This record gives sequence, structure tokens and C-alpha cells, in this order.
Amino acid sequence: MMTAADIGTFSGATLRLAMPLALAATGEMVSERAGVLNMSLDGMMLTAAFAGALGSWATGQPLIGLACGLLAALVLALWQAAMSVTLRANQLVVGIGFNILALGATTFLYREIFGAASRDLIPGFARWPVPSLAELPVLGPALFQQTALGYAGLALIALTWLVLAQTGFGLSVRAVGEDPRGAEKAGIDVRRIRYYGVLYAGAMAGLAGCFLSIADIDTFTEGMTNGAGYLALAAVIFGGWKGWRTFLACLLFGSATALQFLLPDLGVNVPVAALLLLPYLLALFAVAGLVGRIRPPSALTLPYVPGR
Amino acid sequence: MLEIAGISKRFGALAALDDISLSVADGEIHCLLGENGAGKSTLCNVIFGVIRPDAGTMQLAGQAFNPSRPADSLRAGVGMVHQHFSVIETLTVLENMMLGHAGTRLPRVATARRIREISEEYDLSVESDRLVGTMSVGERQRVEIVKCLMLAPKLLVLDEPTAVLPPAEVDSLLAVCRKVTQRGCAVILVTHKLAEIREVADRVTVLRGGRAVTTARLAEADLGALVRAMVGRDVAALGTTTGAAHGVETAAEAAGMTRTGAAPTPIVAAEDALTLDAVSYVDEAGRRRLDEITIVIRRGEIVGLAGVEGNGQSELGAILAGLALPSAGRVFVDGKEITGRPPAVITAAGVGVVPEDRHAVGCIEALSVAENVCLSALGAFSRFGMLRRRQMAARAVDLMRSFDVRAAGPDAPMRSLSGGNQQKVVLARELSRDDLVFLLAAQPTRGLDVGAVAAVYDRIRTARAIGTGVLLISSELDELLSVADRILVIYRGRIIGERKADPAAREAIGALMSGHVPVAP
Amino acid sequence: MSDIVAQTAPRRRRLRLAPLIPAAAAAGAVAVALLLVAATGRPVGIAIAAFWDGIAGSAFAFGASFDRAITLAFVGLGFILAGRAGLTNVGGEGQLAVGGIAATALALHGAGDLPRMLAPALPLVGGAMAGAVWGGVAGILKVRRGTNEVISTLLLSFVALQLVYWCVQSTQLLRKPQTSDSTLPESLDVPDITQLPLLFPDTGSPLHIGLFLVLIAAAAVAVVLTHSTLGLRLRAVGLNALAARRAGINDRGIVVLALTLAGALAGLAGAIMIVGEQYNLKTDFTSGYGFDGIVVGLLARGSVGGVLVFATLLGFLRSGGISMEITAGVPAAAVLICQGLIVITIAGSAILGDRARGSA
Repeated sequence: MMTAADIGTFSGATLRLAMPLALAATGEMVSERAGVLNMSLDGMMLTAAFAGALGSWATGQPLIGLACGLLAALVLALWQAAMSVTLRANQLVVGIGFNILALGATTFLYREIFGAASRDLIPGFARWPVPSLAELPVLGPALFQQTALGYAGLALIALTWLVLAQTGFGLSVRAVGEDPRGAEKAGIDVRRIRYYGVLYAGAMAGLAGCFLSIADIDTFTEGMTNGAGYLALAAVIFGGWKGWRTFLACLLFGSATALQFLLPDLGVNVPVAALLLLPYLLALFAVAGLVGRIRPPSALTLPYVPGR
Repeated sequence: MLEIAGISKRFGALAALDDISLSVADGEIHCLLGENGAGKSTLCNVIFGVIRPDAGTMQLAGQAFNPSRPADSLRAGVGMVHQHFSVIETLTVLENMMLGHAGTRLPRVATARRIREISEEYDLSVESDRLVGTMSVGERQRVEIVKCLMLAPKLLVLDEPTAVLPPAEVDSLLAVCRKVTQRGCAVILVTHKLAEIREVADRVTVLRGGRAVTTARLAEADLGALVRAMVGRDVAALGTTTGAAHGVETAAEAAGMTRTGAAPTPIVAAEDALTLDAVSYVDEAGRRRLDEITIVIRRGEIVGLAGVEGNGQSELGAILAGLALPSAGRVFVDGKEITGRPPAVITAAGVGVVPEDRHAVGCIEALSVAENVCLSALGAFSRFGMLRRRQMAARAVDLMRSFDVRAAGPDAPMRSLSGGNQQKVVLARELSRDDLVFLLAAQPTRGLDVGAVAAVYDRIRTARAIGTGVLLISSELDELLSVADRILVIYRGRIIGERKADPAAREAIGALMSGHVPVAP
Repeated sequence: MSDIVAQTAPRRRRLRLAPLIPAAAAAGAVAVALLLVAATGRPVGIAIAAFWDGIAGSAFAFGASFDRAITLAFVGLGFILAGRAGLTNVGGEGQLAVGGIAATALALHGAGDLPRMLAPALPLVGGAMAGAVWGGVAGILKVRRGTNEVISTLLLSFVALQLVYWCVQSTQLLRKPQTSDSTLPESLDVPDITQLPLLFPDTGSPLHIGLFLVLIAAAAVAVVLTHSTLGLRLRAVGLNALAARRAGINDRGIVVLALTLAGALAGLAGAIMIVGEQYNLKTDFTSGYGFDGIVVGLLARGSVGGVLVFATLLGFLRSGGISMEITAGVPAAAVLICQGLIVITIAGSAILGDRARGSA
């Protein structure tokens, strides 16, 4: 029997698991709308998760940890932008390189720096229950007992949609990803917009990584993103490069993972491994376009050479 | 208004612009005339800041003008309507107009009001809320022009604006140009067709091979001399074809030329090479690109398909080449149905295809000439799945000789050949077979120099002489008049008329191209 | 005259420079790794000695290094084969994984009863076929649904890795019978008769006949790519699929075939990992070889000889890294840092080649 408590736990777990995906995917969507694919999303998340944990552990201040995580992800994003926008490197290949590098570097530094202290709990963000709302039955505790980072993340995601649809910057991003030559002729600096896009994806991936390490389980483990960055990429495709659909896709992936907490409680005996496989399989169906025709930005992954 | 002095630009070994100087006066319509590759577009791009010149200076309204980005030119008061439109298809007209706006909130209301003002002032109707992707070519061009005029430019540059328009819309475009100059703005109009701009241009500068050959007041100029300057040779000496490509010869001249070209009578007659039976094509966006096209082409005749670009010719070409599936209708070659079959089957049925886009479909530029020539018949050049390189090279050398292809050798990469020679390789591959029943030649002379154009026409006529049925798709009416036997006109995906390929029918065909079907008496 | 000299001289210099880029990237990355080791305060000399011991310090180490190189070379060969058709197969990890699953299943159920010559062959063939399916699915998705193969092969990899986990967690699948709480989640060892013969069984070297298999595969791929009609078809499709289709080539078929073959090579490598060195199926048994194989393929820039060279190099690097961690306490992740830097540098320097071509 499914109880109200089960629903509460399930929706709480769904949101918690979907949050890093949604943050990363929303940032990535902006970058892809500007025409740059960051295959390195997973690496940026992992780097930020590590740097965030490190900063928070060293200072005892999760906020400083967050700053460290953001900074690390932005450095990586800047490097990625230089490679894929200025040097016109293959965006897929260079992204995979960054993921290998991020995995190696975080693992190396983690062992070197944390070493024996690896079991220490890392100071994370405290939960801020919203007065009265958090008391609501069933969904109250799940939705309104987030950390500050959680609330900020949700607000940022909504803000991103607004910026993309309603501002001159958003219009430039959409133009640059569809028709960079046309955009340049309209006086837009294509490369600059693309740099902003990649940096934005980096910042959001940084938040996502920090969410993992200092706002959720308050610890760092080697390779802890476990492919979340790739799921976020798939969510962007699943969402058809639209803000709210991408967010829904992340919720779907999150709920698929959260099933492993719900099903045993319901007495449904499904191997955990099968449930772990589910989000990837869903993502595969999504990118295979089995959920309806989806059209990517025309200039996605195509490097731009001004004036040719 | 604009002074250009000593502008040069090289791309590798090619001098695209070589020491160009010219001046454009206030309120003047100044035409740049030249063939493909003469440097017209490069010069426009320099003026608009897309390309930086290697040498030379420019002055705009007395100020030093040295744009390094389009944004610089826009700010200085230069507007440009590009040959390939720069409006973005997935945005609405309004969004396109606000593009480049830096503020935090988009000025939707003010921009919409400005669009209304401009379109009323210049008599250019434009709907703000439509997606550009759903508009016709002419409508998009109007959007481009309105977009330029919104910035109240001092200089308006139009790069080949008439190439994509039906005759009637050309006239209204030229009327807009005149209105613009009446407000003190200067206009640079680029074209390779002298005939169309005869009425509006104040002065003409002719470009050839990256050099400004001559500048003349149109009122005093000798048109024949201008064409000679543009082509670099005497048109008459080149025979039937070149004058047609530039739209300058008189009807009488054209008639004489066409007759000599059309002389050989078909050997095989009364046999159908190609039959299209009510072929329709609906594209991915659900737009009906072809609407029940029915055409019968007999062996030994050349049928021209006239029409302004974008009226379904590309889709028809793709279907005949086996690269697109018709939504309805059937296609027969030599009595055998080939509807929806893959290219290999269509080729085996005796169809040769010269596709409209040589770079995208005709050949593979990174492969060698020999590989390109043999690609469609690899079975004949292999044993146990292994390539027989020597036979491939021998075949290529044979074809290069008989089709007069200039290349370093059979192993030279296709990329190293000039456009004309690439096209000859494509023709060689598609024509050099005994059992050719039907040839599709889509825009076969686009971007070729004069000599190559003549060679392509010769080959097409030769194919007719051995009994091949030919469909020649072209947006150059004069080309069709000089090569085809009869001309069909396509408009918005339908065949709306047929005329004999007679220069006297030029007016009637032109009217059909813009969609005017004469009412039956 | 002087004009010609001026134009050709820099071009020739660039042409000579191009093959040096991977070497320079590798050298730079190794230098960074050494600096990292030095920064940790451990004596660099000891680390290097441990590194060398891991590569060639003993017959065992030397053999194990080559075994690693064999796996990498198979994946790399598949990568460049698909690359010829313009495809980027980043699914090597998953193709290894399903190859390993199939090989384990066949070795445990069926192949043990076969004669000595055939017993190892069955798991190998099964592994190759499983990998072929895994690659082919990506190919079919690409031609049918227009799915970018980079995303699909990657997601298929994650699915395959979870499948391995499932297989070794469930006794109904491949997990060995649970006799106690301490029974590890892994499969039974494959029967001796299904294991690949070792080349030097008396020396303690684990080097197996997979060495010959990979050399045969390399020769076959080289011949196919340079001399066969299939090679030309792959190239034509990779360069311009539309023009290839117009010329009568079944471009969709070629795409599926290329990814199927790439998957088969990686699947074969997965099978070799099981019946050649590991002898049973464990979670994460692929341990990143599939991703390293992509690095090999990238470094090789489409050349079969390059694949063999860089597979050996990376195989050695891995061996040395593991030994460095065990003996000198330097995390083996230093090797990953090297690899990441190499891929980024090479991808970023591709523009140099473009410039040389553009100005020619």
C-alpha cells in the first residue's frame, strides 16, 4: 500500500535527485541555444563538487565552499570555451577530455588532501524549512525543507527562462545558436555570446556540483557525479531545448532513480540494478526521439569563423 | 557619401580584390556589375565590415571609415541586404528587428510601431508577428530592407537583390531603391544582370577578376562595351551562350543564336524518357512543395523548367535523384517505375543527374578525381572487394581527356579543381554511358565561367542528339531560351504553363514565373 | 620564383609539425604529472622507478602491460574504423562490458564442453557479436531517428555498465552461488579450457594469444581502410553522406555497418579481458579501458599503426600508474590527468591542421 508518507518520501527524493540535474541542464540549455555543446558538463559538476567540499571542509563555511566550487567550474568553463569557441575544437571530443581530466584531478587531489580524513563529514548547508508551508501534509516536508542552495537554484532556473525569453541577451543567445552569420550581421558578437553561454553553463554546473557535495549528502566521493552530467545533457535533448520541458525531464530522471527508495517499501521486488539502469534507458529513449520530433538549434556544435 | 581607395584583399593565392577605388555620391544609385567571382560580394563584405581588407582606405560621409565588425558599419550608418538573407528563420519579424538590442527588457511596442512607420513610408508591407521561416523569399527580402531602414542608414548596400525575385517584384524593389535615394541615402546595387538595372542606376562600376575595370554614367554608357568589360572578351565571339547568361542581347540576336543551337533533330522520337505522374511532395514542416506535377519528356528533347528559385525545383530535383520520397504520385523512366527507389536503382535504370548543388551532392571534394568518377560503379573497379586503382586511374584519364577536364591528374583531389572542371567531372560521370535514357541537369551552369558554360551546353545538346531526354532546371530564363526545346514554368510547386522556347515568348514566360496565368479567352 | 618558395616553405614545415602534436601533447602531459608527483612531496625518483617497474620490472609486469595494450588497441581500431565514416564511437566502454557479459555467459554455459581449440573461440565470437549489437543499435538509432551517435553510444555505455552490475548482483543471472554472506558479487571463474592460451606460460607472464588476434585485426582493418571498396565507401560517407548516397552508396547501411564493426572489435576485446586475464565477471571490470581506447583512437588520427603505438603507450602508462600507486603511494589518477590533458590539447590543436589546409 502506498501511504502518504511514501508519497512524501518519494517526491522529496525525486526533487533532491532532480535538483543537480535541473541546475546543470538549465545552464547547458542556454549554452546549447547559443550553439555550444558542453560534453564536459559532468566534469564541471565533479570539479565543483570537489572544490566545494574542499572549501567547506577547510573553512567550515559552506558559503565559502560554494564560492570555491563556482570558481573551479568557471575556470574549467573558460578553458572549455577557449577550446570550443576560439580554437574551434571538436566540442564532443574536447568535452570528453575535460571529463577524464576532471575525474583524474579530483580523485588525485581527494586522495592527497583528504587522505585519511576521507570519512569526515563536510559542513554543508543547513535546511531552511519555510514556516507553515513545511508543515503541510504529504508534500510539505518534501518541497519546503530545502537548503538555501535548493531555493536559490529553483529561483535561478525560473530566472533563466525569463532571461532567455524576454531580454535582449536572451534573444541574442537564440539568434547565435540558430544562425550565427545572421546574428553577426545584426551586430551581435557571436563569440562573446557563446563565451557567456559556456560560462553560464559552467556556473550552473558548479551550483549543481556543490549541491551534490555540500547541500545534499555532505560528503565527497570519487567520481560522485556518476554520469549525472550526461543525464543532464540528455534532459536538454528530451526537453527539446525548452526551459520548462527540460526541467520536467530532470524530474522524470530524478523520479526514475527515486523509485529505488519507493518500490521496496511498497513490497515490489525489483533488482536495484534494474532501477539504476532506468534513467539512462529513459534518456536513451529521449534522445532517440521516441517522444516526438525535436529540432536542435541549427548551429549546435558548429564552430563559427567570423567573416567568411 | 562613400570613397573607396586602393582596397585589396587576398584569400591565399587568389586576389579577390585588387586595388579597387570607387566613389558613391549622396543620393546616387551606384551599380556594381560583374560575373560570379568578380569580387562583388567580397567588396560588399568589406564595406559592411565582415571582411577586413589587406590594404586600402575608405571614407564615409567625409569621415575615415574602417569597420572591423558589422556592428561598426551599422553604427556608422551602413545597411546591407545580403544575398543570403541574414534574418533568422526561427525568430519572428519583430524579434529579428530587436536583434542586437542590449537592454534588459526588449522594446516590443516601440519596435512594432517603428516597423509600421517604415513599412508605410516606403510602401513595404511587413507583418511583425510572423515567423520569418514561414515567409516567401520576396517577403523575407522586404523584412531585410525594413530592418536596414529602421536604422536610417546613410548608405544601403544590396547584394544581388534581384536574383531571387520574380520580374514583377523586381520592379517594386527598384521603386523602393528610388524612394530611398530621394531621402538622401546612397545605394549600392550589386548585380550580374545589366538589363534589370538599366532604368534605375545613375552610375555603373564594372568588376572583373577583382579589379574595377571601368566606371561610367549609365546615361552615357555603351551597354555592349560594359558587357565586354565584364566578360573580358567579345560576347559575339563566344557564340550562342554567353550573352544569354547576362541578359543583354536583343531579341533578334537571341533568336538567331537559339536557332543555330537547336539545329540537330532528335534521332529517337515518340518514346518517353521520363514520365512524372501527379507527383506531390510535402516537406517536414507540412508545406506542400510540389503539387501534382505531371511532366512527360520524350527521348531526344530538352525540356526546360523555368521558375524563380524556391518554387519547388530543388524538391523535384531531389526526387528525380532518389534523394527524396514523393508524398504522392509516380515516376517512370523508359516505362519502368522508379518511384521512391534508391539512387543506385535509378542510376541503373538509365538516369544521369547533374545536381544543383555541386559541393553538397555532385561530388566529394576531398576524394580524388578517379575516386569520384568511379564511386557510382565500384563493382566494375574492384575484385574480391579490393579496389583496382590502376583501372580506376585509367578510366579517369580517359574521361578527363574526352571531357576536357583540367586537373593535375587522376589522383588530384576534386577540391583542387576549378568549379567548371568539377562540373565537367560530374558531367563525365553521369553522361559517359551508352544507355543514358534521361538526364536531369539542375542549375548546371551556376557559378561557372563563360568557357565552361559553353562546354556544359554542348554536352547537354550532345546527349539530346543520341536520344536522351533532358530536363534542364534553371532560374536563368535566357539559358532556357537558348538550350531547351520547350519550357515549362513552375510556380509554388505547380506547373502553370508551357511555352515554346522562343525568344518571343520571353514576356509571357516571365509573367508566368511571377504567377500570372493568362485568363483563357 | 621567390613567391613560390615563400608559399611552400611554411606549409612544408606545418606538415612536418602535424604528427609531432600528439607526441608534444603526451610529453607535456607527462611533465605535468611529474610536477604533480613532486608537489605531493614524494621523491620523484622513487615514483619513476615504481612506474618503470610496473611496465617492465618483471615478466609479469611486461606481459600485463601488453595485455592492457591489446584491449586498448581493439577499442582504438574500432574507433578509427567508425571514424572513417565520420562517426565518433565513444561507446567503447559499454561495448567492452556487453562483450564481457556475453563471453562470461558462454564460457560458463556451453563452451566448457567444447574441444580445446573451440572452447575459447565461442566466448570470443559471442563477445564480438554482443558488442556488434551494442554498436549497431547506435547506428540504427542514427539512421532511423537521427540520434547523434556520441550521445547514444555514451548512454548505451552507462546502460551496459549497469547491466554488468545487475548480472553480478543476481544469482539468477551470472552471480556465483551465495554460500555465505561474504560471497563477493561476481561470477564463477570461467572453465580452464575456455581460457586463452598463454604465450609464455613458464615465465609467469600473463601475455596471451590475444596479441596475435589484435595484430591480425589491425592488419585486416588496415587493408580494409586503404585498399577495399568498403574503405572507399566508408570514406565517401564520412566526407559527404549525401553525395555518397547520390553515387549509389547505401550510406545508412554504411553507418550501421561501421558502428557494428566498431562495436564488434570492442566486444571482442571485452571477451578477451574475461577469458584472457580476469577469468570472471566483476562490477566495473572494464575500469575505463573503453574510454582510454577512445583516447588511443584520437591520438592515432585515423592510422592503424598509430593505434598500435598509442595503445602500447597507454597500456604501459596504466601499468606504470598502478605500480606507482601501490609502491610509491602516488594516486594512479595521475595517469587520468595525463590522458585528459592529451585529449584536450590534441582536440584544441586540430585548428593548426585546418589553417595549413586553408592557406594552401
